[in-house]
Amino acid sequence: MVRCDGVVQIYQTREIEVVALRDIDLVIEEGENVALLGPSGAGKSTLLWLLAGLLRPSAGRLWLGGAEIGRLGQAALNRLRAAQVGVVLQNPARNLIPYGTATQNIAFAQRANRKRDRRRAGDLLERVGLTSVGDRPAGRLSGGEQQRLAVAVALANRPRLLLADEPTSQLDTQSGRAVVDLIRESGTTAVVVTHDPMVGEAMGRTVTIRDGRIGAEGRDGEDLVVIGREGAIQLPPEYHELLPPGTMARVEPLPDGLILRRADS
Amino acid sequence: MIAGGLWLRRWLSLAVLVVSAVTVAAAAVGPVYLGTARTAVVRDALEDAPPDHRGWRITSVVEDAADLARQVSAPFLTAPILGAEMLSPDLKATRTYPLMWQDGQCEHVVLVKGRCPAAAAEIMVTRASGFKIGAKVKLGALVSGEGADQRPMPLRVVGIYHADAADPFWFGRNLFTQSAGTTDGNGDPLFTVPQTRQIATTAAGVDWVDPADGRAWNTFAIVYVDPLRITSQDLPALESAQARLAEMGQSRQRTIVFTYMRDTLAAIRLQLDSLSVPTTLVTLQLVALGWLLLFLTVRDLVVARAPEIALARLRGLSTARVWAFGLSEPAAILLAAVPLGLAAAWTSAGAMAHGLLRAAGLPVVVDVSAVLYGLAAALGGLLAAAGAARRTVTQPVVEQWRRTPRARSRTWIPEAVVLAVTVVGIGELLSGGVITESGGRQAAALLAPGLLAVAFALPARRLLPLACAALFRLTRRRGGIGAFLAIRQVARGAATGSTVIVLGAGLALAVFAVAAWSVTARNFGEVARVHNGAETVYVVPRGDAAWLRGVSAGIPGAAPVIRVPGRPLMLATDPARFAEVALWRPAYASGRSLSALTPKATPAGLPPRVLMTGDRIRVRLKVPTIPKGWSVILYTDFRVPRETGPRAVPVARPVHGQSVYEWGLPRGCQSAACELRGVRVTVTPGADADFENPPGALTITGFEVQRGGRWEKAEAGLGDAAAWRPPVSGHGGLTLSMSPFGGASSAIPATFPDPLPVLSNGRANAQKLPGLDAGYLAGYSPAASAVALPGLDDVGAVVDLELADRVTYGYSAQAEFQIWAAPGRGPAVREALRKAGVPVLATRTVDELEAGYAGQGPGLALVLLIMSAGAAALLALGRAVLSLYAEARRRTYELTALEAAGAQVGPLRRALLLEQVITLCWASLAGIVAGVSAAMVALPRVPEFADPPVTPPLVYTLIPAPIILVAAAALVASLLAAALTSELLLRGVRYERLREAPA
Repeated sequence: MVRCDGVVQIYQTREIEVVALRDIDLVIEEGENVALLGPSGAGKSTLLWLLAGLLRPSAGRLWLGGAEIGRLGQAALNRLRAAQVGVVLQNPARNLIPYGTATQNIAFAQRANRKRDRRRAGDLLERVGLTSVGDRPAGRLSGGEQQRLAVAVALANRPRLLLADEPTSQLDTQSGRAVVDLIRESGTTAVVVTHDPMVGEAMGRTVTIRDGRIGAEGRDGEDLVVIGREGAIQLPPEYHELLPPGTMARVEPLPDGLILRRADS
Repeated sequence: MIAGGLWLRRWLSLAVLVVSAVTVAAAAVGPVYLGTARTAVVRDALEDAPPDHRGWRITSVVEDAADLARQVSAPFLTAPILGAEMLSPDLKATRTYPLMWQDGQCEHVVLVKGRCPAAAAEIMVTRASGFKIGAKVKLGALVSGEGADQRPMPLRVVGIYHADAADPFWFGRNLFTQSAGTTDGNGDPLFTVPQTRQIATTAAGVDWVDPADGRAWNTFAIVYVDPLRITSQDLPALESAQARLAEMGQSRQRTIVFTYMRDTLAAIRLQLDSLSVPTTLVTLQLVALGWLLLFLTVRDLVVARAPEIALARLRGLSTARVWAFGLSEPAAILLAAVPLGLAAAWTSAGAMAHGLLRAAGLPVVVDVSAVLYGLAAALGGLLAAAGAARRTVTQPVVEQWRRTPRARSRTWIPEAVVLAVTVVGIGELLSGGVITESGGRQAAALLAPGLLAVAFALPARRLLPLACAALFRLTRRRGGIGAFLAIRQVARGAATGSTVIVLGAGLALAVFAVAAWSVTARNFGEVARVHNGAETVYVVPRGDAAWLRGVSAGIPGAAPVIRVPGRPLMLATDPARFAEVALWRPAYASGRSLSALTPKATPAGLPPRVLMTGDRIRVRLKVPTIPKGWSVILYTDFRVPRETGPRAVPVARPVHGQSVYEWGLPRGCQSAACELRGVRVTVTPGADADFENPPGALTITGFEVQRGGRWEKAEAGLGDAAAWRPPVSGHGGLTLSMSPFGGASSAIPATFPDPLPVLSNGRANAQKLPGLDAGYLAGYSPAASAVALPGLDDVGAVVDLELADRVTYGYSAQAEFQIWAAPGRGPAVREALRKAGVPVLATRTVDELEAGYAGQGPGLALVLLIMSAGAAALLALGRAVLSLYAEARRRTYELTALEAAGAQVGPLRRALLLEQVITLCWASLAGIVAGVSAAMVALPRVPEFADPPVTPPLVYTLIPAPIILVAAAALVASLLAAALTSELLLRGVRYERLREAPA
């Protein structure tokens, strides 16, 4: 479904250039649920926006459902986003038109799609448990309701890829869990940016990004470091005490790997 | 959804709606008011015109005038007033009476006694006629019976009436001269009924015999244009009617169409032609300012929708749909603004028309051109919205979310281009180049305020942040946090630029408009005073100088004036009364009063006029021997009443030894005095004339006149050397040379000086005055000069009426007889004229003349400018305050943080206040300076009159009071707005805001 091949993203500002992502290699299979983890400023949201087709990679290649993002024109990108990608932004209110009703918000998202399914709005509201407030302006819904509605809006066009940025950040535990369940139950490929360990656990796979690189991946409860393109690995923070940044280390090969030892030990 | 969005941003939407509506109104009010003003011009011209200038009198002997009149019909024409008339002397031939009837005559006379005629051969008469009720009146031309049985038909008097000669019903004809006492030979009309015509025949030898029925009746029809029903749209139809009637008068047999409508139409066209260009220029500037305001306000609206537009793009809406979504709210507002703006334009134009235009009941119509102007303004708003939305629509969504600072665009480049174009435009205006030629006048000077506003506003917006940046270091060290924050914010220039441009431009227009209007209004007043001459001027029928003097003499506060157009223009008046009545400013003549000047135009000690009434003239001569072969004739030249040229009488063919000669006087001298205006001899040499021995000189020793069979001596001052010019008279009589080789062969009574002493407002090229007969007979010499003289709207002279009357041989058709009323005496003079039976053909007042100037093209444009510029300035101020408020509101998070960190409210208040005061005052200052500069530069070039006056000289010095008032009002409003917004913003500073992300 998603394949990143050496993706680099650089932001150019007035005075400086900021490398947000470097050498990202990532493959996400159809139907997979992935949580993007990492500290603030690591590049999680940037990767999400790349996957949404809102940015084109500064270098490297990115495929989405077989289409290479960097080669698509604006119109094709718009069509791709309308038909295949659903996005939930970080602040639930940012996903919604506040003066539009819940139904109108879903219909607004459907405007982008030529094959509009008018009954789907009702189905989605039912799925997210908002049928009773379908005629209420989105601005008057509670935070949890807004977030559920945001997911419903993102799913309006039956996307193949659902992207969510901190979908539980402003919700209580119960509401957060409901939103995560919604995402999981949607049956679509999902990539969720989160700081919330509960969300990470709920997703089948975690990808941890640090300093613009993929540092680790977690599958089935086990965290693994990822060897980068030039053989670089990022030690998980819990090992920084043993090998603090700047430490000289010896590499000792083993048949199935290698050992790092401090040079002064 | 659109309605929801508009409601969510209701205040901003309302601001956009107001600005849009005002822009549409500013664009449409010009065309709407223009249409109304054009109608006002047409109506004013017709209402002010004498009856014969606003209607036609169709007279025909051969055809029925009613049928002719019906050939032209239009909704704005009144139904024809029909009638018939026959002029006939009474049986003794002492007086000539019009026997006539006119439709509705009984409603237009006051019956003093008896009743209106109802049957054939019944008449009503005036008291002045002397006829009694029941008397039988016989006219020479009206007979009954056929052939030998013809005898004068008696007309029975059944009523005595009194008529108001000024009633336009009579078409301005001076019908009632007998009642007015201004005629010896004409009687007042004898009103009868149409049936009289059926039973009477006309006597043999009567002129104007109708070949159809043999009767000497003229049928007539009077058709008027109704000023209350005509609009400017009807002008082509009116011109067509005039052409049709003029053609009728020229092509049909014995049909006369009497009218001065062509002059009225020409005057109307002249005024209308001057309306369009200045109005369009003002409208365009206002629309440009409106668009600028629209752009900035719509941009705010679009920016406020940026998150929604980003959401639309996130959902993958196509570019077209994103544009449609982005523009939906501004478009909806603009759509709503069109009818609102048109309604506002209609209301404003109506109010302006009610307040500024004289004519009542003027139609205020939103016509197609007004709608098109309004739509164009709205379309401009949509383009402005698209321009404003472009960045939001095209900027990458991620950039919006991340608020990534972009590289600064080079905004100084378009500004420099605009500034360069502006400077070129101003230079072109000042040098009087090509663009000043539009409309044949310097109407393009009206672009000056707009150009100068831009020229000042653009550098001003750059200067303020720079100046504040320079002060920034200073405020870091002293002045406290208030000044520091304020200066820093202004130096950042987030809201400074647009505020300075909008408020500066708006205020510049307002200041210019006020300055221009105050100066123009002063000029309107001064020109109206001088051109009208007196507070009220009544135009009366033409008579003669003596009659006019007689009319005026009986009315306190009135002065007789005869105005003869030409170059030089001439006003003949009674100097003493003129000085009492005319509007005068000592500044016209270096501080001298008019009463000190007028005596200079009245020389004393002039010989009396030589008047003769009778049927024959006798002259006594001393004739020397006239050599053989020479033929000599002595002529006397007379001025005969009601004639416009001299009448020569060959009184003698002198022969030696014969001293008395006689000749008949012109017929007009039998009942009225003729004036001897000259004597001359003509000498004709025969074939056998001896040129070595020409005739000598003859001497006129006396004149006598025969009246009623008796000869009476006529005193001609023949023994007085000063009584004749050249001075050929003396003790022996008046000597004229009969020699072709020398000596004076003619002389005129020196009853007036040549040149005439006059009050002059400048020397025209012509050396002679037109005179009352427009004969240009007398030279003139300024006895006193003034830069302006009452009643003179061109280079001309004021001359003593008595002197002018002594010069003239008659009265030109162009001479206009007027009675001037002193200030406050208008109604009394009018009433006195009415009592004297003197019809008032037209009334002209200073106020009406002044109001008329405001209705002309240039005045209209300035009125439009002042009204709309005021509204635009208010809008600009509102927009500036909103902009500052919005910008400061974004910083309430920062202010809250400062307060939380321990900053006092006082310094924060000072910071907000100071920031807004600096920006608003700077923008106001830029606007005021631009407006005053524009006024100083452009006012002498801005046309104020459709037809620029030759006199008095126009004054362009600015009047400080209104400018100071506007400037003060702008500053006070700025300060109040600054204080109010600062307070509102401070109330928004709450610690809860710190929980939110900074906006």
